[in-house]
Amino acid sequence: MQRYKIADIVFDVQLMYGYTAKLCENYIYDGDEQPCFTAVMTQQDIEAEKKGGEQFPDYYLESLALYRKLCDYALINANAIVFHSSAIMVDNEAYLFTAQSGTGKSTHARLWREMLGDKAIMVNDDKPIIRYVDGDFYVYGTPWNGKHHLDTNTRAKIKAICKIYQDKQNSIKRLTNKEMLHTILNQTLIPTEVEKVDKLFELIDKMLRSVDLYTLGCTISREAAELSYSVMSKGEKNSEN
Amino acid sequence: MKIKDGFILRQVADTYIVVAVGQAVKNFNGIINLNETGAFLWRQLEKGGDEQTLVDALLGEYEVQEEMARKDVQTFITKLTEAGLIK
Repeated sequence: MQRYKIADIVFDVQLMYGYTAKLCENYIYDGDEQPCFTAVMTQQDIEAEKKGGEQFPDYYLESLALYRKLCDYALINANAIVFHSSAIMVDNEAYLFTAQSGTGKSTHARLWREMLGDKAIMVNDDKPIIRYVDGDFYVYGTPWNGKHHLDTNTRAKIKAICKIYQDKQNSIKRLTNKEMLHTILNQTLIPTEVEKVDKLFELIDKMLRSVDLYTLGCTISREAAELSYSVMSKGEKNSEN
Repeated sequence: MKIKDGFILRQVADTYIVVAVGQAVKNFNGIINLNETGAFLWRQLEKGGDEQTLVDALLGEYEVQEEMARKDVQTFITKLTEAGLIK
């Protein structure tokens, strides 16, 4: 049994494979807090992850199963949302880029790092956890960090969420809550129990009202990063270059 | 006609959406959007009814011509039937 602290949630887990243990090693916890829950991973958990069409090895599916268990617990007990995105922190504020897989959210986050250097810290490049804490939304690093393995065991208050699409020019504009809703719904896990659905929707509704929302059409260029950073960090409305 | 068990209507960010819960998730994986009229009709169909019941309900709630109301109801029923949400 190993104890971890992820997204400020302490829990114990008994794993079947070394892969997840290695993945989570930066999140091992040996402090005084008691665990919120205990997870014993079983073959059944792994089988439950096999519903998608793609074939993955069992050790990898175990890591996803653990992520699901953590998020399932955390939604109800810790006001936590899963949000498939690339989260980057600058000056203690977090910016979340979201897009369909392969559209370039990780690439855009990389352009920010190249532009901002040490000022920019990757919180998580794929599956961060968002929590509503004391009236604000924070993004937390998690070990489920995407194919470039980028994450930091930290948290930051979310300033903005930006939906990315590829374009020939760079332009950024604000989105309304309503316009951003489906992007959020498509990039989260929707639970199958009524009370969890209600909790998730309540959190999403609050989040959409409390952070800045943008959509960015962009090329893969420093200019794109300069535009998105300058507009989003100032909280400006619309801009093109 | 009635809405099948396991489908719930909710309002998020001023948008009406329908999602599946429980066993219904196995056969329906997604989200359906409804406008305000759709949400109203959905609530009627949660109780059950036929085309005429829904048309009457619409006429009672909104100032609309019967012909328009019937067209809205038929579009709504077609949409929900195609998505497999009605029993």
